[in-house]
Amino acid sequence: MRPTSLVAVIITLLIALICQLFPWAGQGVILRPDFMLVVMLYWLLRAPNLCNVGTAWIAGILVDLATGSLLGQHALSFTLTAYIGLSYQRRLVLFSPWQIAGYVFGLLMFERLLMLFLKLFEGNSFPGWAYFLPVISGLILWHIMIMLFGALTRPKHK
Amino acid sequence: MLKGVHQKLEPQQTPAFFVRGASPFSRMVFFCALSIIIMATDARLNYLSQLRQGFIAALHPLEMIAKAPSNWVRDVNRYFSAHNQLVQENYALKQQAFEHQVRLQRLTTIEAENTHLRSLLNGDIPIQPKAILGEISHTGRDPFSLVVVVNRGSQHNVKAGQAVADSKGVIGQITRVFPFSSEVTLITDKGLSIPIQIERNQLRAIAFGEGNNTLDIPYLPANVDIKVGDKLVTSGIDGVYPSGLAVAKVTKILQNPESPFAKIISTPVSEVSNHLQLLILELPQIKEAALPVTTTIATDANATVTPTSVVKPATKSPASANEAKPNAPN
Repeated sequence: MRPTSLVAVIITLLIALICQLFPWAGQGVILRPDFMLVVMLYWLLRAPNLCNVGTAWIAGILVDLATGSLLGQHALSFTLTAYIGLSYQRRLVLFSPWQIAGYVFGLLMFERLLMLFLKLFEGNSFPGWAYFLPVISGLILWHIMIMLFGALTRPKHK
Repeated sequence: MLKGVHQKLEPQQTPAFFVRGASPFSRMVFFCALSIIIMATDARLNYLSQLRQGFIAALHPLEMIAKAPSNWVRDVNRYFSAHNQLVQENYALKQQAFEHQVRLQRLTTIEAENTHLRSLLNGDIPIQPKAILGEISHTGRDPFSLVVVVNRGSQHNVKAGQAVADSKGVIGQITRVFPFSSEVTLITDKGLSIPIQIERNQLRAIAFGEGNNTLDIPYLPANVDIKVGDKLVTSGIDGVYPSGLAVAKVTKILQNPESPFAKIISTPVSEVSNHLQLLILELPQIKEAALPVTTTIATDANATVTPTSVVKPATKSPASANEAKPNAPN
């Protein structure tokens, strides 16, 4: 693993925010991955010294402000997801890429379910199964992140 | 030895307490508490709307960057759109404008007559609302609420609560205003209700959004005089929507023998997904300002006697075809 810098984390999170702001229309809205969440999880699982629960919270608040949902909803779900992600983070280097992808799938699913729970609590109705499609597109984005910034399991042995 | 392997695998991490800072669990508890506090504040106390507005304004440059590629694609497409198509469109629009002008001429005389009759009866004079032309910049980013975002904001004199319509009928209401954009909640959203009137028999009721492109008119008795195909128009008694705008058409009436109420389902007539332009209507003046309103009506009537000026193709709302101002009057 190459060492990472805080600048890379901040810049990728900003790019993720821009992607989140991109005017998605039609089918894109349903398929749109949670850019902020995936990018945040990537850095969280790779460099928890740079991106921790606090970063997740800030990312969530930014998403809340950008999407116009109740302030704090995404912050709460991102924080909890980040915490669960961190709890197994140290063991991930031993896993295969597919196992890690499965782990990320679980985390993304957890965030979606938590968000759904919060929204139902707020009085909304269930939006249909397409609501979970961003988990799949999020996994694709996860692989793009790995292609761009390197896998989690590649310790450099000299 | 195990420790050595461990450190080799994770070169960035030092297990020391002080480098890692507070434990993830305590951080999680702290930030969860913080977000729950913020959620409660936002939901109940309305302190944070200023913060949100400021943030959206600060985000505007980023949003411009995000929109740039699709704008370029659109511009290129426009550039290459066939000349033939433009000519045809121009011809059709001219024809439409001509038809509208003919109709408008009748409208002005009828309006004058109506005003006169109402003044004879000491009634209130109906007001033609002014309107701001807006364009949908994107749909809402939250899959749970039916919202579109329009490119007109508080800088263009848009206020929360204004009604929004297109050429077919009412779209919704402005619910949040940011400096350069504003959020329109559609009438089909669960949180929005609209006072309506059945066009056929003038029966007043309130329609509620159902969250899935239909409206529901609850609490009407099972034997109410509403038929499939009835048109719903705004009644105008709420002080938000000007009266007489088309809202929806009744598509289904479910009779449940166990329930004393009829289940009346209607679909909106406006076509939000079909085009980008929409009109943000000015809030109707409250009665207190009766005097200035009558004077403005007089000047407006003078202005509309000669509707020969160019009829803009986009401003074809039935409510204010000749009053629409494409740009904010400011």
